[in-house]
Amino acid sequence: MQRLTHQLDGRPDRFGRFCRGLGIVGAVAALAAPALAPAADVQRRPNIVVILGDDLGFADIGSFGSEINTPNLDNLAKEGVRFANFYTHASCSPTRSILLSGVDTHLNGLGNMSEWTAPNQRGAVGYEGYLNHRVATLPQLLKDSGYHTYMVGKWHLGKQPDRIPRARGFERDFSLLDGAGSYWDMWNFTGASPKSTFTEDGRYLTQLPKDYYATKTYTDKMIGFIDANHGDGKPFFAYVAHQAPHDPYHLPKEWRSRHVGEYDKGWDAIRQERLKRQIELGIMPAGTQLAERMYFLPDPVVLAPASRAILGKKMELYAGMVENLDYHVGRLIDHLKKIGEYDNTIFIVFGDNGAEGTDLFKMIAGSPGTLNYLFAASHWSQTNPNAWGDPGSYVGYGPMWAQVSMTPFSQYKGWTAEGGIRNALIVSGPVVQRPKGSVNHGLMHVGDIMPTLLSIAGASYPKRSAEGQELPALMGKPWNDVLAGRAESPRTERDYLAWEIFGNRAVRQGEWKLRWQFKPYGTGEWELYNVATDPGERMNVAAQNPEKVQALLAVWDGYAKANNVILPTRGPFETLYDQLPVRVPVDEGFPPLIYQRQFVPPADMLAEPKP
Amino acid sequence: MNIVRGWMNQLACLRGVGLTLLAVGVFCPLTAMSQVPPRFYWKTLSGASAVPLIVTSMSGNTNPFDAAHTVTPGADFEGTLALAGYARTFTLFDRAAMGAVLLPMGRISGDVITPGGEPVSQSVSGFGDPTVEFNLNLIGPKAQKNIPDVIRYQPGFSLDVLADLAIPIGEYDSSQPLNVGQNRWYGRIGFPIVWQLGAWVPGRRTTLEFLPAVWLFGDNTDYVGKTLETDPLYQIDAHLTRDFTEHLWGSLDAAWYNGGEATVDGVKGEELDNYGFGLTLGYQINDNLGLTFSYKSTASDNAPDDLQMDVFMISLVSGWHPIIEGSKRLKSE
Repeated sequence: MQRLTHQLDGRPDRFGRFCRGLGIVGAVAALAAPALAPAADVQRRPNIVVILGDDLGFADIGSFGSEINTPNLDNLAKEGVRFANFYTHASCSPTRSILLSGVDTHLNGLGNMSEWTAPNQRGAVGYEGYLNHRVATLPQLLKDSGYHTYMVGKWHLGKQPDRIPRARGFERDFSLLDGAGSYWDMWNFTGASPKSTFTEDGRYLTQLPKDYYATKTYTDKMIGFIDANHGDGKPFFAYVAHQAPHDPYHLPKEWRSRHVGEYDKGWDAIRQERLKRQIELGIMPAGTQLAERMYFLPDPVVLAPASRAILGKKMELYAGMVENLDYHVGRLIDHLKKIGEYDNTIFIVFGDNGAEGTDLFKMIAGSPGTLNYLFAASHWSQTNPNAWGDPGSYVGYGPMWAQVSMTPFSQYKGWTAEGGIRNALIVSGPVVQRPKGSVNHGLMHVGDIMPTLLSIAGASYPKRSAEGQELPALMGKPWNDVLAGRAESPRTERDYLAWEIFGNRAVRQGEWKLRWQFKPYGTGEWELYNVATDPGERMNVAAQNPEKVQALLAVWDGYAKANNVILPTRGPFETLYDQLPVRVPVDEGFPPLIYQRQFVPPADMLAEPKP
Repeated sequence: MNIVRGWMNQLACLRGVGLTLLAVGVFCPLTAMSQVPPRFYWKTLSGASAVPLIVTSMSGNTNPFDAAHTVTPGADFEGTLALAGYARTFTLFDRAAMGAVLLPMGRISGDVITPGGEPVSQSVSGFGDPTVEFNLNLIGPKAQKNIPDVIRYQPGFSLDVLADLAIPIGEYDSSQPLNVGQNRWYGRIGFPIVWQLGAWVPGRRTTLEFLPAVWLFGDNTDYVGKTLETDPLYQIDAHLTRDFTEHLWGSLDAAWYNGGEATVDGVKGEELDNYGFGLTLGYQINDNLGLTFSYKSTASDNAPDDLQMDVFMISLVSGWHPIIEGSKRLKSE
């Protein structure tokens, strides 16, 4: 089985060499507790907390340039290391499947999201729409190695009893099995599937706890899980898969009004401010240019104050979602400090894909006369701005603010532009030996997390499953050397990363990225970008670099063959070209017709009309 | 997945602004039970205008054109009162303000007792005393000077100061006790309170509203050849209002009157100390038109000197704002 991250020079992969050279116990000692005696390492293996923000954007955390207040996440960044060149997949369940299996989506069952399985993908191995049983899972392997394994939040990897968190390795869980839903209750979005499905410790819930609010309840539950076994000497793996800040932006009232009017200035201004801070923080290099505003979006300068206010209010709500998320992360951190576990806990924080710029609600319920429209009329029609955040309201912030969340990148969730797949990553804890608060620009991938954590935990990745089936090789590279400060990247210039979802695809090798996207977001042809010098993907240089295009196409072909990539015959973006205006360049200040200001003649030349 | 249409639809918020315009315009006959309808003091966009047309049918033992509610024991009045007016909202010292002019008109008939104690059957009609009203918010959100302010507005706890002044130019015949004009200056100082309970979302709004006020009366020196003096009348109106849908709302209304002792040439009358209760249904016909229907009646009014009154009231109020009207014209192109 070929890995996504290839060793083109034929050298053994770094993870395998590392494990063979040092042995698992040695790896744990070296990474997790270098000052400890080996005899104590089983007892002192670090706890692991993975905090996943759902649709959380690259630029939404304060330490990545945001104006949103995220003091708790920023503290993790301050004590750990930030990674500015980290990739996920372009949508949620594929990323989660990679995180928990370490295997490419086209092999692990999420070759496509279950919501969008194309006719030609039905029945194909790797396209089951759930995390298939051909892969081993991170929680199962950690549990087998002596970890407690806990999960709260969004699962989105299968609902059948043999596919739920409990069946895939989590001892304790409180999980939303769906991809999204209300934060307040069990309502979901479609008439055909009106209720969200939750499990708690492997049982399907008939109702939610009293005073349920997703982010709060998930945190409460996780704290409870940790406390229940605290003191038994075993470390824990806590997968905190928050639903926030995925739409709908359901939010307690006291969190809705913390940024009133701050976003009326519009998306362009906020993007510029975020980029400026990113450069100051060292997240982005000096001279970075913003990706162009999506061509069909207006320059906020030409919008009426009412429009800016109502659209700005959506971003106010989103900011509140992120701040509320940060608050509850802080509660978990504080609790770990209180029980004395914080110093021995590794935190890994990131968003699962680019921020969401597509109107999911309209996709589902936008056609009057349909069952889903009537369902929305009954359950999702709290459209007044003052109701935003309440049960029954559905607010997403749209492409303009998604671009802000993905500053400085182009586009957002669902697309293989940088805005769809690049995200912020924070790692802190005892394994991090790099300077506190530093920023790293090594090429990282969500698929690296499983081999890294297995290594840290002293667990091994088996060749065969419990049923005797051969397991696919892990796709990622462990971060051991990077976290220890011995390397700047887990990848060489020849290693590559590749993506395909909904037919959009990309491959990155070194500084270069080749991508193919549906029109009009893409050209319907392969485009080439140097994402080191042009992270905003403003300049398609395919025509000037035909050899590079061919070389990367060969890499892509190798990846597609090795991972059984079946391009879908249908998808969410197939008719987008027919719904959006014809693509035109975005030229600031064009047309002057709507920008030219009132002419003011010289005062000394003013005159009244002659009689 | 039409993204362009998606964000354009957000401009539909302007419609909500149109709806709020009408909240201010629900005027009432100030003189009919001296009670304004619920939601009268809700705020809206500065620069909005409203014109009410209110028709009231009442019966009781007091002249509905007389804010003092001077009781005429044994009298039985039937009246139809109409009221037209104009109001405009504006900003003063960054606070919401409203100025209005109200003109009552109508007819009333019934058996009255003259100051000499003789029963007389009377019927009068014509224009009453026009009233000017000024209202200024003191506590609560700042004035809604633009549409973003409207979008973000929620009253929370709002307290205003209110001043009314009736100008005694209505039709008056000094030879008879029953008139539509009152032949004296009178007015009111009040403190309207709107207390938001829960979400401020059309279809879900609930408010508790109070209007403590005092009515002050000048002397009528030509009241059937005598002098009529009236002590201050203290009044508290209370309303519990609730949206049923985005367009339909209802209210439980109550009022308490105390004072207003009338003296005719030194002969003192009875002091009022009465309660009244009522119900109101309101319906927002469209962005510009609002309709209310109310019934109010005094309670514990069996004694001859008690205030006895019941009122049916229908109001139709038209409100507008240049921005909203202009947007509609553009939209209809």
